[in-house]
Formats: sequence, structure tokens, C-alpha cells
Amino acid sequence: MSQSYNRGLVEDFGRWREFSAGMWAWIFHKFTGWMLIGYLFTHIAVLSSALTGPDAYTGTIQGLESLFLIRVLEVGLLAVAVFHILNGLRLLMVDLGIGLESQDRSFYASLVITGAITVASVPTFLQGVGI
Amino acid sequence: MAERYSSFTPGGTGWLLQRITAAFLVVVLAFHFFLLHFVNHAAEITFAGTQARMETVGYFVTMVLFLITATFHGVNGVYNALVNQGLEGTPKKVVLAVLTIAGLALVAQGIYVAVAMAGWI
Amino acid sequence: MSTQQESVESEPEEPESQEVPEDQEMSGLASPQQERLQRKQAALEERERAESDHDMDDDRVHLKVFRYDPEVEGKQEPRFDDFHVPFERGMTVLDALIYARDEFDSSLTFRHSCRQAICGSDAFFINGRQRLGCKTQIADLDQPVRVEPLPHQEAVKDLVVEMEHFYDQMHAVEPYFQDEETPDASELDEQRQSRENREKVKMSTRCIWCGACMSSCNIAAGDNEYLGPAAINKAYRFAMDDREDEEIKEHRLRILEQEHGVWRCQTQFSCTEVCPKDIPLTEHIQELKREAVKKNLKFW
Repeated sequence: MSQSYNRGLVEDFGRWREFSAGMWAWIFHKFTGWMLIGYLFTHIAVLSSALTGPDAYTGTIQGLESLFLIRVLEVGLLAVAVFHILNGLRLLMVDLGIGLESQDRSFYASLVITGAITVASVPTFLQGVGI
Repeated sequence: MAERYSSFTPGGTGWLLQRITAAFLVVVLAFHFFLLHFVNHAAEITFAGTQARMETVGYFVTMVLFLITATFHGVNGVYNALVNQGLEGTPKKVVLAVLTIAGLALVAQGIYVAVAMAGWI
Repeated sequence: MSTQQESVESEPEEPESQEVPEDQEMSGLASPQQERLQRKQAALEERERAESDHDMDDDRVHLKVFRYDPEVEGKQEPRFDDFHVPFERGMTVLDALIYARDEFDSSLTFRHSCRQAICGSDAFFINGRQRLGCKTQIADLDQPVRVEPLPHQEAVKDLVVEMEHFYDQMHAVEPYFQDEETPDASELDEQRQSRENREKVKMSTRCIWCGACMSSCNIAAGDNEYLGPAAINKAYRFAMDDREDEEIKEHRLRILEQEHGVWRCQTQFSCTEVCPKDIPLTEHIQELKREAVKKNLKFW
């Protein structure tokens, strides 16, 4: 067989400008999925302070919550979770074969709603904490 | 060609379970966020408050189911992402084993913590 | 392709049987056919104006074409060559490539055959998207027009890619009509298909094996064992055909429900978007996933 030329990774990620809605949805869904499973492990680890005793638990959580950084990360987590939920609903629809012709619009809707919910919840999340 | 395919379907069951857990998680994750950030603010959480919630059997069961489904959904999702990238052979088996063990450990630890929160041990 | 389009445009504008009033004022422009004709005329003029504008400011098409040849010393390192091809109305990317090869560089290599989107040999990566060269109008593209070989398939020479793997996947789904039993001698006439069933498989039969979908699929790129959209669509075409027995359909589903069958599809819709024959590939793959799940639930 003659030699042939493999063009490598540039084929995938060097062309992100040409990605369409479905591709972006997949990338975001995967990215948010990795974040959520990573967070789940951390979450259980933090909550495990309950095993040490009531005071350790309350102290750990309130100590973390008094940090501005943690609050900001929580807003990020909310955004990630909301997108994963909304796009997940979109994917369930796609799996059921419903509305496949508007899959791109439902992705844009997921993004917009995620943005709106995130912005709207910032005051709640940053309540009572200074920088 | 038929002997290459077994009646066991490695993809189908996982695919279906991933969807079923997804449908459950959509509801419970939204509930969880709402309850612990909007109804009760995360900064005001105390052990006593957590215990009061966990003592309710319905809440406890929901949370344990939440943990199990979320772990399955997440770990299976990671595994699928890696298979999609072309993971195969021995590394694939190793990854599956590691993810299974990590998932089981997480569920075990999570249930243990939940029981402690409810004050049953 | 271009001649085909023109012939469509110049279809009988006035059906012989229909009487078209000489004076349009008199008829009050009521007939929908007249309105259609007027709109058609206006669109034609608009297009001609656009074309002539285009001709004025640039009557040459700037092509940037991927060049690579492992057997020629100067071409072992891939590069892009520029060609400036005189633009003609209705020119497709394939026309431009043929001109460049015939007039400028006879070593420019690409596959093509029928030039009318049937043979499926001239799928290229044109301006960042998998398209058929013969079905893509130069006038619709931004310049310079970048023409590259299909991504995720190895480039053999210039725009020619290795298709062997694609064909292997196509053959893996047994893309032919099969039946366990030979029909009785007395009924050896046509095996008829109902109109509804024909409609069901109609879109899936349009596949021309060009490989654009497979090339656009991010999963097929990573997972070499994945059957890919074209092969799954081919399987759909037969699995959904009522003339095959239930047992054959089950056999087909068993091929598709392997780990690297339908389940690898992540519904990115890339294949559906690039398919030059507008086959709803993602929809077909999703339907087969549901069929496979249903079949397994039935056995429980």
C-alpha cells in the first residue's frame, strides 16, 4: 500500500470555528458532565466531615461558605448543572425522536435559559459574603 | 459472521439505563439545588438542619437513590466518552475496573455519610 | 449539475393546456400560476444581476487546493497551491478543479465521475465543510475557496483519500436484500412493497457512498470500530423494509446493537448537516436505537 498522510488533531479542534450547534452542544454537555462527576466526588468528600461529628460538619461547611471564591465557584456549578439538565432534556427528546428538526434551536434555548438562571441567582448565591 | 455477536448487548442496556437515570436526575438535581441554595441557603447549613432533613425516610431514600443514579450516570458517561475516543483492549478493561471500583466506593462512602447524618449510627 | 439546474429553471413556463390571458391588467393578476411566474422572473433577473456584479469585480475564482504526494520529492510536505480559474456562470467546485487540472497543473489529483451528485466520488472538504464538489456552486462560497481532502481519512494524494475503511463498514452491515426462504415457485413474480413502506425507506435509499457523513463524524474519527452513519443508514434501509422477514430484521439489529454500533452515535447531527443527499441520518440512527431497545425489552 502506498504511503498516506494523516493530518492529526488539527482535523478536530483546529476547526472549532466551523462547528455547528449539535457539535457545540455535545462539547458543552461532555465538559459539564466531567465537571459534575468531579464535583460529586468532592461533594461526598466534604460531607464526610459529618462522620467526625456535628461541629466538624457545621464548621467545615460554614467555613467554606464564608469564602468568596467558593461562592463564585458555586455560581459556576449552578450554571454547569442547569446547562447539563436543559441540554439533557434536549437529548432525551432527540432520543425519543421528537423535534429533531429544531435541535439547533433547542440548544440555543438551553444556553440562553442557563445564562438567565445563572445571572438571576447571583444575588442569592453571594448573599452575606464579602470579597 | 453471527458468531461474532453475542446475545448479550453491551451497549444497549447501558444506553437505556443512562437515559432512565437521566430522566430521574433532571428532577432530583433541580430539586436538590433548589432546596439547598434557594429554600435553605448553603451558608446557613448546620448539622442539626441536615439531620432534620435526613431523618425523614422519604428524603433519605431520595438522596441515596440520587447518589446511586448520579454515580452510575457520571461514571458510565466518563466510560462512554473514553470509548468514543477509541479506548480499547486492555486499557479499556483497566479503565472499566477502576471506574467501577471508584463508583462503588463513592456510593458506599455516600451511604455511610447519609446514615451518619440521619443519626442512625 | 449546472446544466441540470438551468434545465429546471427553463421548465415550460406556460403549460400548453392553460390559457394565459394576454393582458395581465385584465386578469387582475389573480391566477396563482401567474404570480408564480412573476416571482420566478424576478428571481431570475435578481440572480443575473448578482452574477454580473460578481463578474465585474472578480471574474477569476481563487482556489486554494491541498497538495500532497508521497512519491514526489517536492510534494511530501503537504502545502496549499493557489489557482485562479476564470469564473463562469453556474460553475461548481468540481468544474473549477477540472479547469485547474486541465489548464494549469495536470498532476492535480482528485476523484470524479458523473458530475451530477450520483456517483459519490467527489466529496471534498470545501471551506471547512464536507461537500460534493459537483453539487457546490462557486457563487455560493466565500473566496478563496479552500479545497482539502476529507478529514479523518488518510490523504493518499492531493484530494484523494483512503476509502477502504469506509467500504468495510458499509459491507459489515450486509447491505443487500436477504430472505431465509425462497419464495414458492408459483409466486415467483415481483416482491411488492407497499407505498407507505417505500416512503419509510425512501430517504435512506438515496445514499451515494460519498463518505461525507463518516468524515464529519467526530466519533467515527476517534473510534475506528464505530460503524458510522452511512453504514447504519444502509442497515436502516433494509431493516425497515417490510419485504424482509422478522428474523432477518433481528439479525440486522444484532449487528447494529454491538458496542460499536448505534450506541456510539452522540447525536451531534454533523452527518445530517453535511449529507449531500439530505438523508436524515441522525433520525434513522435514533430510530434504530429505539428498535434495538424494544427488541431486547421484548425478550425479557
